[in-house]
Amino acid sequence: MDFTFTEDQLLFCDSVKNFLQAEITPESLRASWDTDTGRSDELWQTIVELGLTAMLVPEAQGGLGMNELDFILLAQECGRVALAEALVETALVATPLLSALVDKDPRCASLLEKIASGEIRVAVGHPANELVSDAHVADWLLLPSGDQIHLLARDQVKLVTQHSVDPSRRLFTVEWKATDETCLAGGPEGVQLLAASLNRGALGCAAQLVGLAEAMVSLTVDYTADRHQFGKAIGTNQALKHHMANCAVKSEFAKAPLYRAAYTLSKAPQNADFAVSHAKVAAGEAALLAAKNAIQSFGAMGYTWECDLHIFMKRAWALDKFWGHTGFHKNRLHQWLMNPNAKIGADKTFGIQG
Amino acid sequence: MKLSFSPEDEQFRVEVAQWLQQNLTGEFEKLKFRGGPGDEHMFPHERQRWEQKLAEGGWTCIGWPQECGGRGCSIEQQVIFNEEYARAGAPGRAGHIGEGLAGPTIIAFGSDAQKQKYLPGIVAGTELWCQGYSEPGAGSDLANVKTRARFDEAKGKWLINGQKVWTSLAHESDYCFVIARTDPDSVAHKGLGFFLVKMAQPGVEVRGIQQITGTSEFNEVFFDNAECDAEDIVGEPGDGWKVAMGLLGFERGVSTLGQQMQFQNELNAVIREARANGADHNPVIRQRIARAHAELKIMRYNSMRMLSGQGGSDGSLQKEALIYKLFWATWHRSLGELAMDVLGPDSQILEDGPYQLTRLQSMYLFVRSDTIYGGTNEIQRNIIAERGLGMPKEPKVAVQ
Ligand SMILES: Cc1cc2nc3c(=O)[nH]c(=O)nc-3n(C[C@H](O)[C@H](O)[C@H](O)COP(=O)(O)OP(=O)(O)OC[C@H]3O[C@@H](n4cnc5c(N)ncnc54)[C@H](O)[C@@H]3O)c2cc1C
Repeated sequence: MDFTFTEDQLLFCDSVKNFLQAEITPESLRASWDTDTGRSDELWQTIVELGLTAMLVPEAQGGLGMNELDFILLAQECGRVALAEALVETALVATPLLSALVDKDPRCASLLEKIASGEIRVAVGHPANELVSDAHVADWLLLPSGDQIHLLARDQVKLVTQHSVDPSRRLFTVEWKATDETCLAGGPEGVQLLAASLNRGALGCAAQLVGLAEAMVSLTVDYTADRHQFGKAIGTNQALKHHMANCAVKSEFAKAPLYRAAYTLSKAPQNADFAVSHAKVAAGEAALLAAKNAIQSFGAMGYTWECDLHIFMKRAWALDKFWGHTGFHKNRLHQWLMNPNAKIGADKTFGIQG
Repeated sequence: MKLSFSPEDEQFRVEVAQWLQQNLTGEFEKLKFRGGPGDEHMFPHERQRWEQKLAEGGWTCIGWPQECGGRGCSIEQQVIFNEEYARAGAPGRAGHIGEGLAGPTIIAFGSDAQKQKYLPGIVAGTELWCQGYSEPGAGSDLANVKTRARFDEAKGKWLINGQKVWTSLAHESDYCFVIARTDPDSVAHKGLGFFLVKMAQPGVEVRGIQQITGTSEFNEVFFDNAECDAEDIVGEPGDGWKVAMGLLGFERGVSTLGQQMQFQNELNAVIREARANGADHNPVIRQRIARAHAELKIMRYNSMRMLSGQGGSDGSLQKEALIYKLFWATWHRSLGELAMDVLGPDSQILEDGPYQLTRLQSMYLFVRSDTIYGGTNEIQRNIIAERGLGMPKEPKVAVQ
């Protein structure tokens, strides 16, 4: 048993973290709110050059052939800086979905190559989300219809903008028509692919939520050291220390189920429901608590638009409800646990779930 | 103990309900259920006209003594008025800072001249007030105010210099009650004065602050030799802290009754949503709704208990009242979370662009501030522990 990441995984994560923290700042995010697309092609190209879109693309399609476990720490870093670009969904959802269909449909191989090289972007719809994020900058969309998955070019669909409570997010209702030509998969295969996508989407959300939680704690730790009341830094008050300590416990402890879920998805994806739901619930709780205690510790300042805290709080509130809200995932947990054949017990700590 | 209303009180209820039914119509129809928590920025002018309409019917300041222009209503009648007001969906009161805070303070601590000058405008709904307590360096540590008031002998006026912040509705207000330091050498709560300051004058500048809701309900207020008449200090120079604290007693007193009924309306809205989208079938949501209801009732019974026979006109409340702010603020914040969980994924979609929140979203964001303003939860807990329970005080740091 070894719960640690490899040296390579950690080093790569560090370099990506440095890049993200230099490029994605509260100022750059705010600037993006006022632009048409809210997205930067330049930034996407840099992300591509770093190889981030290629990570989960199979080697045969020019990618790095890596897996969820290799990406999970990066997804956490994307959350930490509140990256608006849909990198996590591209890498963790769109790419594996297309990879699963490479042998079946020649279009998939070509799309994967172009994702890796940055020529195109692909957005994903799913029944768990009524809306598709970043559809406006996607060249292709993967969309569900019943048990089928369809592939459409952006000019084959009509996008209706939906505004999000998080000003960084770009969400759309997609109007489109399913035809035989657009259909990539269906029947039992479609059902299975949709289920896998849900788990991958939820895993990506969970990772970002943990990063967001840590970012909010870190902002708050800094603020409570600077802000003085009653002649001393407000952070000297135990009430605030305890607020932050409670958050730290939650987010640190959410990491274990998160990494475990990434592991299970990479090794036995058909059995990952339980692990993923566990991660999403734990990460959601950590992020919501961090949002609550952070604004509380900031006082009125945290309630202003000018203070950067809301950038992170609003992303946390939004992602907590995306790819299955907490209630949905808790239901999956208890349905699994209440099953008389549930594999729980002494020798099942890492046992196959589901 | 008597937990019922008398026949006279029930008659009063009918009178209130009928008046509201007859008057909350026409131009006021659109104000129904508006202007509540998170919605204060909506329809300010229409709501002020509504305030004046209420005044015509004698329905402002109903708890004030008759000689001050009020109706001298009993606690029971105030309870009933608030119940009917909320049931009718009448809008958030534009004049609540004047009626609930400034007026009672002037009645308790003000001079006859101040009563004559200021109370009629509040009763008539023609003059609105804001609260100038907090400053950049004085939030939880309110006694750290740096704004100064100096008496200018030549002008025969007080001159006020400094900055207030987070001043709710300052941009709509005619007057601000300001705590300022009258003794420049004083520290902490000594040497403060409580001033009634006219907003429309060259020495006062108001700048809006945008909130996480995208709207702007609170402000920075800058005083640059703002003038205040000699007779517009409440009490003596040096009494400011006593007056300011008396006012906070009112904030936690009868003015809470109306607020609870607004909470009831919000809870009803959450239940309606749950019915509409099927969340009411979810056992967890059902339990949280039941709990919210039970706790709201606890709040209501307790505030009636606290007010019974003891809400003196000086606003003094018993120790039990110390728990009230913590309880309602925390309850309200949880209601916001419940609302978002009932809405599920829809909770993140705005009513419209660029940043038009739905009513429940505004509520959710707004309630994040309930546990902050008017004394944060942490400060409330300190007060409960130290003043209520007599636990040892934290050692004071010497103030520079
Ligand atoms: C929506 C809104 C409307 C407002 N309207 C008004 C208004 O109309 N007029 C007005 O004067 N003010 C108004 N305020 C200001 C409000 O009263 C202050 O925000 C409040 O007193 C807290 O001060 P602060 O924001 O400076 O936070 P701080 O005092 O800086 O507190 C930050 C954090 O430190 C904690 N803390 C500080 N001291 C201690 C301690 N000793 N022990 C434990 N914890 C501590 C606090 O609990 C909080 O969590 C408003 C605020 C908001 C959010």
